[in-house]
Amino acid sequence: MAASKAAGWSAERNRAFRLGLSPALLVLAVVTLGPAVYLIVTSLTPLTPVNPATALDFSEPLQNYSSALTTDEFLHSVWVQVELSVVTVLTQLAAGLGLALLLDRPSRLLEAVRTSFLMPMVLPPIVVAIIWKVIYTPDISPLHHLLAWFGLPIHSLITNANTAIWAIAVADTWEWFPFTMLMVLAALQMVPKEPQEAARIDGASAVQLFWHVRLPYIRSTLVVAALFRLIDSIKAFPLIYVLTDGGPGGATEVTNYYAFVQTFNFSYWGYGSAIAVLIVLGVLLLSLAVNRMGGEAIDD
Amino acid sequence: MAESARPVRRRQVLASAAAGAALLALPGKAPAQGGAKKLAGVTLNISCWSAPYPKYLADYIPEFEQATGAKVNYETPSFPIYNQRMDIELSTKSDAHDVINVTFIYSGRWIGAGWVTPLTDFLSDPKHTPADWGGDDFLPGATAAFKDSQGRLCAIPWIADVQMAGASRYDLIEKAGMKLPDTFDEMAAMLKAVNRQDNTSAFLVENHYGWSFIPYLQGFGGDVFRKPPNDLMPLLDTPEAVAAADFFCNMLREYGPDGVLSYTYDQVVETLRQARANYSTNNETFLVQMGLPESKSAKTCALSLMPAGPKGRFPNVAAHGWGIPVGSRNKEAAWEFITWAMSKELGLRMFRDHGFSSVTRRSIIDMPEFRQRMMINGTDVAKLYIDTLNLGAKGYTVYRTVPPYPPVDREIDIAIQSIVSQQKTAKQAMAQAQQNALMQLKRAGVKL
Repeated sequence: MAASKAAGWSAERNRAFRLGLSPALLVLAVVTLGPAVYLIVTSLTPLTPVNPATALDFSEPLQNYSSALTTDEFLHSVWVQVELSVVTVLTQLAAGLGLALLLDRPSRLLEAVRTSFLMPMVLPPIVVAIIWKVIYTPDISPLHHLLAWFGLPIHSLITNANTAIWAIAVADTWEWFPFTMLMVLAALQMVPKEPQEAARIDGASAVQLFWHVRLPYIRSTLVVAALFRLIDSIKAFPLIYVLTDGGPGGATEVTNYYAFVQTFNFSYWGYGSAIAVLIVLGVLLLSLAVNRMGGEAIDD
Repeated sequence: MAESARPVRRRQVLASAAAGAALLALPGKAPAQGGAKKLAGVTLNISCWSAPYPKYLADYIPEFEQATGAKVNYETPSFPIYNQRMDIELSTKSDAHDVINVTFIYSGRWIGAGWVTPLTDFLSDPKHTPADWGGDDFLPGATAAFKDSQGRLCAIPWIADVQMAGASRYDLIEKAGMKLPDTFDEMAAMLKAVNRQDNTSAFLVENHYGWSFIPYLQGFGGDVFRKPPNDLMPLLDTPEAVAAADFFCNMLREYGPDGVLSYTYDQVVETLRQARANYSTNNETFLVQMGLPESKSAKTCALSLMPAGPKGRFPNVAAHGWGIPVGSRNKEAAWEFITWAMSKELGLRMFRDHGFSSVTRRSIIDMPEFRQRMMINGTDVAKLYIDTLNLGAKGYTVYRTVPPYPPVDREIDIAIQSIVSQQKTAKQAMAQAQQNALMQLKRAGVKL
C-alpha cells in the first residue's frame, strides 16, 4: 500500500516536471529545431525567390545535393577549407603555446604584455579585416614599404593564388592566437611546481623540462584549444569577404563563402540550403571526433 | 542622411538657396496652407550604390527635406553589397525601402519578377507629375532596360553609363610618339611603350571583369550568350573568347599595377586621379573625374572611344535608374522624390556644381553649355558620350539584363582572375567558366 503510494507520488512528480518543462522545451524546439528542419526541407527544393512556387517543388529532392557533389567549385571550396583550417589551427597553436611559455613568469611587465596580446581577439572581425586589407594593399601598406626600403620588395600577397590563402591564415592567426595563448597560460599555471623543481635539480634542460614535465600536463588543454579553433575555423568569413572576395580565381573560396555567394548573390536558396546542410553534417562529424579525442586526451 | 565631407562653397550655398526657393514655388511641392508641408511626417528610406551621382545627390537632399517636410534616410553602400542586399529585400517584398536604384544587371530579374512598381500611372497623372517635367526627355537607350513585359517604365534612369577609354598621363603617351589607341593592337603597343614610365603602371581596369572584360570579348568576335534573351547558351569557351581572355589578361598582368586583381572601381578612379596608373577602359562617369580640378591628372588626362577589336567596337552601355519597390508604403512620396531628383533643374545643377556628365536627359546633352564644359584638355567628351550611346543602341548589351546573368558574371570574374594569377591558361579557365556557367543556368531553370 505504502509502496504504491510512493510510486504514485513519484509518477505525479515526474508528470509535474514534464508539465513544467514542456513550455521551455516547446520554445527550444521552435527556436532551434524549427529553422533546422526548414533548412533541410528547403534543401530538397530548387527554391529561388524569383519563383516562389519553387518552395513546394519536391520533384527532384536530391538534385541540390547531387549538383553540389558534382560541382568542381563546391569540391574545391571544401579543399580550400581543409587547407585553411589545418594551417590556421597549427599556427595558432604554435604561436599561442610559444608566447604562453614566454609569458608564464610572475612579472608586472609581462602581465601588461599579456593584456596587449589579447587585443586582436577582442576587436570586431571586420576591423581586423580592414587592418589587414591595409597591410596587404601594396600602395598603402607599411609592410610593403618597409620591405621595399630594406631592398626586399614583395608583390601583392592577396592577389597571388599561391600566397592568398597564407595571407588569410596569417591574419586569422593574428586574430585568434590569443585564445590558445590564454588557455595554455591558464593550464601552465596549474602545473604543479614540485615535479618541475625536481627535474631542474636533476639537471633537465628547458626543452627537456617542457617536453617531459609541462607538456603532459597541458596536453589536454592543447587538444581542446585545437578542437575549438578547428570548429571555429569553418566559420571563417569576414577576412575572406574583405581581403579576397574568395579570389583570386576561387583560391580562397571556402565552403561557407561559396554557400553565401550562391545563396545571397544569386538567390539559389535551395542550393545554398543544401550546402549549409552539408556543412552542418561536416561540423557534426567533427564535433563527434572532437568529443572523442577531447575525452581521450582528458582521460590520459 | 549620408554626410558629405565636401566643403560647401559660397556659390553652392547661393545656388542651393535659389533652387530651394524655386522648388517651393513648384506646384504640388509648396507648403500647404496653414504651414504644413506636403510630406510632413513621412520618412523615405532611399538606397543607391555608391557612385559619383548618388554622392553628389546627398548634398541636395536637405533641400528636398526642407521643401517637402519629408525625412530622408539615404544610404550608398558599395555596388556588390547594395545589389546583394536589395535582391533579398525585393524578393521578400519588404517595405524597408521607398526609393531604390534599379541596377542594370538586375533590371531584367527585378522588373521581370514584378518587384518594382511600374511608374506609368504616376507619369501620366498630372496630379503627380507636372506636364513640363519632361518624362519623354530621357534617352530611349537609357530607359529601354527599365520596361516590363507590358512596356511600362519601372525606373527613371539617373545615369547612362557608357564605357570609354582614358589616360591620366597622356603626356607620357605623346612623349612615346603615340596617340590614344583606336584598336586593340594599337593599345597593346601603346601600353608596352609607356609602361612604368615615371613610376606609372600603364593599364588598370576594375576587378569586376563580368563588366570590364566584355568589350574585349565582343571585340574579338565572341559573346557571353548565343542569342540573348531567347537563346542563353553560353559561349565562354569559343576560340574568340579564349583569344580575348588571353589578350585582356596579358595586358593586366604585364602592364597593371601590383595587386591589379584587387582594384575595385573606386580604387581605380582614385588611382587614375592620382596618376599612379595611366590608361583605363572604364565608365565615362569615372574617367571624367580625372579632369576635375582637384585631380592630379587634370592637366594631363585625355579620353577617347573604347578601342575596337578585330571584329568591331563594343563599349559597354548600361543604365541605372530610380525605382519604387512594390513593398513600399510611401509610393506617392517616393515618386515625389524621384521627380525632384530627376528634374531637369537638379540635373543641370549637379552638372554645373560637380561636373556630373553622364546625364540621361537629351535636353541637357544638347545644351551648348554642356558641350562646352565637356571639353577636357581638347577632347569633346560629349561627342564621345553620344557616339558611344549610339553604338550601344545596336543592342549588343542585351546579355547583361537577362535574369540569370549575375552568376555567369561571377564565373567570368573567376576565370579572368585565374588567368591573370596564372592558375590556369586562358583555354582552361574559359572552359571551366563555360562548364560552370552551364551549371549555373541549369540551376536557374534555364532550358538550353
